[in-house]
Amino acid sequence: MEERTRAYLRGRFGDYYRRADLSPPPDANEREWGYVPWTEGPGATYVRHNSLLDLGDIETFLARERPRHVYFSAGRYRDPSASTMSEKSWLSSDLVFDLDADHLPATSPEDTYREMLATCKDALLRLLDFLERDFGFEDLTVAFSGSRGYHVHVRDEAVQYLERDARREIVDYVRATGLTAEGLVGTEMRETVTVRVLPTDGGWGRRVHERLLEFVAELEAMDREAALARLQELEGIGEGRARTVYGTIQNNREAIERGNLEAGGVGLRTLVDSLVGEVAAAENAPIDEPVTTDTNRLIRLPGSLHGGSGLAVRRVPRGDIEAFDPLVDAVPETFRSHDITVEVTDGGRVELGGDSFTLQEREHTVPEYLGVFLMCRGRAEKGKE
Amino acid sequence: MQPLHARYPFLSAAREAVQTAGVDLAAVVADEPAVVERALGRVEGALQEGTVGEPHRRTRVELLSYPVARVLVSVVDEHVLVHKYARAEAATAHERFSEELAADTDLRSTRAATLRLADLLAEFDLDGAVRETPEGYRVGVGAYLQHAADQWGEEWRLVNRELQDGEVPLTEAELLVLLRQAVRHRVEEGLPLDVPDSVATHLEGHTDRVEELLAELELTRDIDTVVPDLFPPCMQHLLDRIQKGEHLEHHSRFAIASFLTSIGMSTDDIVEMFQVNPGFGEEVTRYQVNHIRGATSPTEYSPPSCATMQSYGDCVNMDDLCEEISHPMGYYEAKLDDTEEEELVDWRERQESKS
Repeated sequence: MEERTRAYLRGRFGDYYRRADLSPPPDANEREWGYVPWTEGPGATYVRHNSLLDLGDIETFLARERPRHVYFSAGRYRDPSASTMSEKSWLSSDLVFDLDADHLPATSPEDTYREMLATCKDALLRLLDFLERDFGFEDLTVAFSGSRGYHVHVRDEAVQYLERDARREIVDYVRATGLTAEGLVGTEMRETVTVRVLPTDGGWGRRVHERLLEFVAELEAMDREAALARLQELEGIGEGRARTVYGTIQNNREAIERGNLEAGGVGLRTLVDSLVGEVAAAENAPIDEPVTTDTNRLIRLPGSLHGGSGLAVRRVPRGDIEAFDPLVDAVPETFRSHDITVEVTDGGRVELGGDSFTLQEREHTVPEYLGVFLMCRGRAEKGKE
Repeated sequence: MQPLHARYPFLSAAREAVQTAGVDLAAVVADEPAVVERALGRVEGALQEGTVGEPHRRTRVELLSYPVARVLVSVVDEHVLVHKYARAEAATAHERFSEELAADTDLRSTRAATLRLADLLAEFDLDGAVRETPEGYRVGVGAYLQHAADQWGEEWRLVNRELQDGEVPLTEAELLVLLRQAVRHRVEEGLPLDVPDSVATHLEGHTDRVEELLAELELTRDIDTVVPDLFPPCMQHLLDRIQKGEHLEHHSRFAIASFLTSIGMSTDDIVEMFQVNPGFGEEVTRYQVNHIRGATSPTEYSPPSCATMQSYGDCVNMDDLCEEISHPMGYYEAKLDDTEEEELVDWRERQESKS
C-alpha cells in the first residue's frame, strides 16, 4: 500500500469516526483495548494492553488516532492495562463466538463473497438456535465482523465466570463434537425392565428425534417395498431388520414418538446411529473454537471500521438478521456520497453497495465505498490528484 | 466445633467454628501430634485409597486435621498431590452426604446436626441454579458447566445432555456427583497455601512420608520402549530369576510385572518374556498382569519405588545411576535418554523377526 493511499484511508476513517455512534460494550473501563494503526510496511503493529484510562473516551480516541482496526477484550480485569494476564487479574469474560467464512466446511474457494457470507449467515442462525433454545441465553449481541463473518457476544451472568474447560464444553455442544448415539441414548426403568430411550425434550436428542420422525414420515409416504428398500440403504440394516423397523412404524408408532428405541429392535437403533451422524453434520454450527475458549480474547469493536474491507462492523438486531445484507447494510454512510479515482491493481468482479462492478487493471472513477473497499483489500491504490 | 463440622470440614461453618475457637494452626502443628497424625492419615488415604480414611474419634482432632492436611499438601507442593487430595476429600464427603441424605426420610431430618440437600446447595451457591422437578432436578447450564466440565465420563459431556432453556436435567444421584465436584473444587481452592517456614519445619517427617508415597505412585511419562539391557539392576535381576525358573515371592513378581506394564508391554509380551523357562505358570502371570493393568481390578498399579524395593530386599547390584534416582522407572528413563535412538532395539521387534 502506497503512502498516499494510507494517508487517504486514515483521513477518511477519521471522518467516519467523528460521526459514528459506537455505544461501547458494558464495563468498557474494565476491558483491555487494542488497535492496529496505519503503519507502513508489512507486519502490522498491534498496540495492546490499553485501558480506557490510557486511551480516554473511546469515541474521542478513535477520531484522533483513526486506527486501521480496533478491538476490545471479552474479559474484564482489575487492571486491564497491565502487560501480563496474571497482573491484569481476571474478573469475568463474555462468551464470544466467531463464525468465519474461511473456516466453514460448507464453503468452497470458488464461492463468491456473497455466497460465502450467505453460508455464514445460515450457520449464524443455527448457532443462535442453540444459544437461545438450548442454552436459554438472553443477552446476545450479533455483529457482522466487517469482513467474512459474524460475531456473537453473550453477556448473561451464567457465562461470566466460566473457565476455559467449561467454555470448551459449549464449543463441543454447538459443533456436535463427541456427539454419539451411545452418549445420547439413555436408559429408563419401565416397570421392571430397562428401556433404551432417545431424549425427546431437549439437546441434540431432540434434534435427532425430530429427524427420526421426519424419516419415519418419509417411509410412511412410500409403499412397503420402497420403504424396505430405503431402510436397507443404511449400513447395518438388512432385510430382516428393515422389516422389524417397518413393522414398528406400522404397529407401534407411538413408541417411536416417545423416543423408545426398544420397540424397533436392533434395526431401529442402527437407524438412530446413522441419523446421529447425519444430524450432527447438518445442524452443527462450525464456530472457530479458540475464540470461544479464550477468556482473554480481543474482538473487533461493533461500530468500528474493518481496515481490511472499509466496511463497518455492524451490530445486527435479532429481528433484522434474516433481512441483513452485509454487502449493502455494512457500507458506511460516510463513503456513499461521492466518487473517487483509484488505480486498480487487481481487477475482477465486485459486488458491493447494491451494485455490481467489473474492473480492469487501470484507473477508475468509482463510488467512494468501492474505492475504499479495494484499497483496504490491497487491490487498488489511491489515484494521483 | 460440632460433629457436623468434623464430618464436613470444608463447609464455611466449619471454617468459622475453627476461627471462633481462636485456633492457631502453627501452635496446633507444634503441640498437637494427634492432629498432625490424623492430617497425615488424610493425605495417605488420599494417595492410597482415594478417600481420607477413618475419622478420629475426637471432633476437635478430626476437624483440625483438615486445615493441617491442607498445609501438609502445600508444603509438598506437587500438582498431582493437590489433585488426588482434593478428589479424596470430595469422595469421602460424597459418601457421607449420600448416606445421610438417603436416611433423610426418617425423623433425623429435623435434627440440626444433619446436613440437608438444601444446605449443601446453598453452601456452593447452587440454590438459585437448581430446582426440583417430578423427574429429578434441573440445573442451570452455567452452574452445571462450572462443576461438570472436569468430571470424567461421556455422560457428563454437555453435548450428550438434554439441555433445554438453559437447564440440564439431572437425577438425584447425578446431582450428588455434581456436589462432589463442588467439594473438590472448594478443597482445591487456594492450594498450595503459603506456609511459613516455622510451620513447615515441624512437619518435616510427615512431608517425607508423603513424598515417599508420591514417588511410589509417580505417574511416569509414557514409555513404550522395551530394551532389557537398559533395565535397572533390580529388574534385570528379577527377570533373570524368573527366566531361570525360580519361584518369586508375590511382591517381587508384582514389582517386575508392574514395571514391564509401565514401559508399554502387553500381557502377551510379558508372558512371552517370562516363558523362557517352561516351568513358569502362564495362567498366574496372565491373571497378575491383567490385575496390575487394571483389567480385572478398579485400580491401575504403578511399580514400587526404590525405597519399597529396598525394604523387600529386591534392591540389588546398585550402580552409580541408582544413587541419583528414587524410582526404577527413573533409572530406565535416564538410560533411554542417554542412548542414541538408532541404538535402541526394541525387544518386541526382535521377537517379531524371530517368528
